[in-house]
Amino acid sequence: MHKITLPERCDRAATEALVPEFVAALGGGPLQIDATAVRQCGQAMLQLLVSARRTGDGARIDPSPALLDVALLTGLDGELFDEAHQPAGAAA
Amino acid sequence: MSPEEIQAIFFAECDESLQAAEAGLAACRAGSRDSETINAIFRAVHSIKGGAGAFGFEALQAYTHIFETLLSDVRDGSVPLGPGLIDLLLTALDMLSDHVAAARGADEQPLDSALLAELTAAQARNAAGAGPDLAPVDPEQSRPGDGENDASDPFDLDSLLASLSDELSPGALPPEQEWLVHVRPHAGAMINGGEPLLLLRELARLGGRCVLADVSPLPPLDLLDWQTGYLGWTFALPAGVSEADVHEIFDFVGEECGVAYGPHQSIPPPAPAEMRPAPAATTAGFRNPARQAGAGPAPATPLAGSDGRTAAATAPVLGPAPAPAPPAVGQSIRIDLVKLDRLIDTVGELVIAQAMLAQQLSTQGAAAVEEMGMLEALTRDIQESAMAIRAQPIGSVFSRVPRILRELAATTGKHVRLEVSGESTELDKTVIEKLGEPLTHLIRNAVDHGIECAADRVAAGKPAEGTISLSAEHRSGRIHIRIADDGKGIDPARILAKAIEKGIVSPDAQLSREEIDNLIFAPGFSTAQEVSNISGRGVGMDVVRQAVKELGGRITIESEPGAGTTFALTLPLTLAVSDGMIINVGDQALVVPLASVVESLRPAPGEVRGLGLGQAMLNVRGSFIPIIRLHDLVGAGGDPVTPETGVLVVVETEAAGKAALLVNGISDQRQFVIKSLETHYRSMEGVAGATILGNGCVALILDVDSLVKTAAASPPSASRIMLLQDAA
Repeated sequence: MHKITLPERCDRAATEALVPEFVAALGGGPLQIDATAVRQCGQAMLQLLVSARRTGDGARIDPSPALLDVALLTGLDGELFDEAHQPAGAAA
Repeated sequence: MSPEEIQAIFFAECDESLQAAEAGLAACRAGSRDSETINAIFRAVHSIKGGAGAFGFEALQAYTHIFETLLSDVRDGSVPLGPGLIDLLLTALDMLSDHVAAARGADEQPLDSALLAELTAAQARNAAGAGPDLAPVDPEQSRPGDGENDASDPFDLDSLLASLSDELSPGALPPEQEWLVHVRPHAGAMINGGEPLLLLRELARLGGRCVLADVSPLPPLDLLDWQTGYLGWTFALPAGVSEADVHEIFDFVGEECGVAYGPHQSIPPPAPAEMRPAPAATTAGFRNPARQAGAGPAPATPLAGSDGRTAAATAPVLGPAPAPAPPAVGQSIRIDLVKLDRLIDTVGELVIAQAMLAQQLSTQGAAAVEEMGMLEALTRDIQESAMAIRAQPIGSVFSRVPRILRELAATTGKHVRLEVSGESTELDKTVIEKLGEPLTHLIRNAVDHGIECAADRVAAGKPAEGTISLSAEHRSGRIHIRIADDGKGIDPARILAKAIEKGIVSPDAQLSREEIDNLIFAPGFSTAQEVSNISGRGVGMDVVRQAVKELGGRITIESEPGAGTTFALTLPLTLAVSDGMIINVGDQALVVPLASVVESLRPAPGEVRGLGLGQAMLNVRGSFIPIIRLHDLVGAGGDPVTPETGVLVVVETEAAGKAALLVNGISDQRQFVIKSLETHYRSMEGVAGATILGNGCVALILDVDSLVKTAAASPPSASRIMLLQDAA
């Protein structure tokens, strides 16, 4: 299982840097994404994560509270996380 | 978009914000101090502050910060908003306007330290108790931004990004009171440091909550372009939030973010350039462990997450491109004026080409073809639509007036109430721009010469505070603007005495009341007892008339001693195209603007009377008007025409009343495109411009006013004003 660790600041620059790594991991089974350190996340990274979840074998994301909040704001919590990681309010 | 372009948008929005704040404070002064009004003022100042920070206008940012802090306290109800504070806030707004002008490079940096101290003192002084006249603002309705540590400045992206995960406040109102806004940020919304999620956060701050996330355009990883915006959202907002509030959030990103409102709209489709064709492999490659069971081609079915909020609302990746969403209410785009002017020029050429075609057909005996009529109607429609794009509400000029009045109140001690109507009346941008100066003169004149000081007014049984009313309306293809004051009116005896003293009229002249009133437009005329910096140098009113005249307009005065004076301006809606009568004079074709023409006639025997020195008068239903032989005046070739054999075109002029122009004949009446003579040659007395006729010939457009005035003042032989040997 390929593991990718996300930085604290997941802005456009971080997305640009990580896209090749995500693409390179395709076909290697489900991706493991460690997002526990994420404190900021923009749309570019959000799209990358959703796409990663929906491509090939998918991905499992371990989110930080900040990422959970962004997911909740954008209504993508269900799309991004397995149920175990969804914030309490997300299922409502 | 280049930084310069973004900055230009910022300044355009500054102007809008200043106007909004001005309108809000005017409403407060009029007594409506509700939370929405105060919020609007706060938002206006706050958004200027945000932009100032982003573009590094430190002085502007520092000033708006202090201003905003006071407004924030007013908004919270901790500082009472009384009449004194409203005046201070208005002064602060004027200073803010100066700061914006300085940031633009149009003005010197204003000296704001005294006013800043006053604002700070007002905040400290008033903070002790909440004012009884201020309704506290509902925090739920308060808009983003709240003082210096506010992370929601649209330009402080870093801190915004940092706080993106902070407090999210889903709407507390029941769903039935909510309304929908649909958002799709395009690629441009993410460049130059832009972050669309901040916009969503602003929606959340307003109490909005995401009810739908459209992930359907999102391709698989190997086809993902990280710079493209794929996601779209629908947010439900509480009923208390207005569309304008939401509009404001998206204002700055402009076209970079598709926005639609209401239940009948959907998330706008991705921008065409971003609609990546998805190969068949896309579908095969899609697999989502979370919803694998029974999943067909993923995007073809709604991609409901566990909370049911994500969906393939529109499926542009696989299906045919969806029909473009109908334009959302209130959508607008900003267009570079140069592009617009190019369009207007091209439309002008189209009008000329259409005229040439009409002429060509007419020479071949096919003038009456139905299609020609359609083409003419369509050309006129296109021309009117193009002009409408340039049209702006006159309110942008009227909005300067409150500040002028405040400044005049400070220098003259005369407090004037302003009544405005018809501010949404639209006219061409060029006319609007040129109207500012004469209007300022007229307002200054009204306060300085018209409105009496408070004591005199009370003694005359009038309210101590004077009133100036400004109104605008469209009437028969022109715009009519009235500037009326309830001051002392024009004293004809005083005006006449002054005019005689200055040698403008001879002491034995017999002038009508109207002529006496019009003396105030004479160059060098001023009745002010002493020269002030407001008016009184005698350069104002003739400049006003000149400016109005240059706009192709007229200005008239109605005055009632003791009751007030009204200046009425009549202006064309546009300066580019006009309607005119094409007349033949000798071997020349000339254009008379239709606005000047009263009637045209062939005189019956006995209606023309000689009047010495080769001059003649026309009897029009009992009144005699001078006949002006255009043939002599313009120096045309060919045989001169007599009143008995020619046609008389009766025109109305500002300077010399009615006159009858003697011409050989009238050949047409049509739209003509005004080309400036000054641009191609030089300014000529009696000529307003030139145009190109259907036969390709250049024809001069007569400046009827100056032509008639010249003819009236000079004997016929001395008044030749032009020679058109090579005009064709």
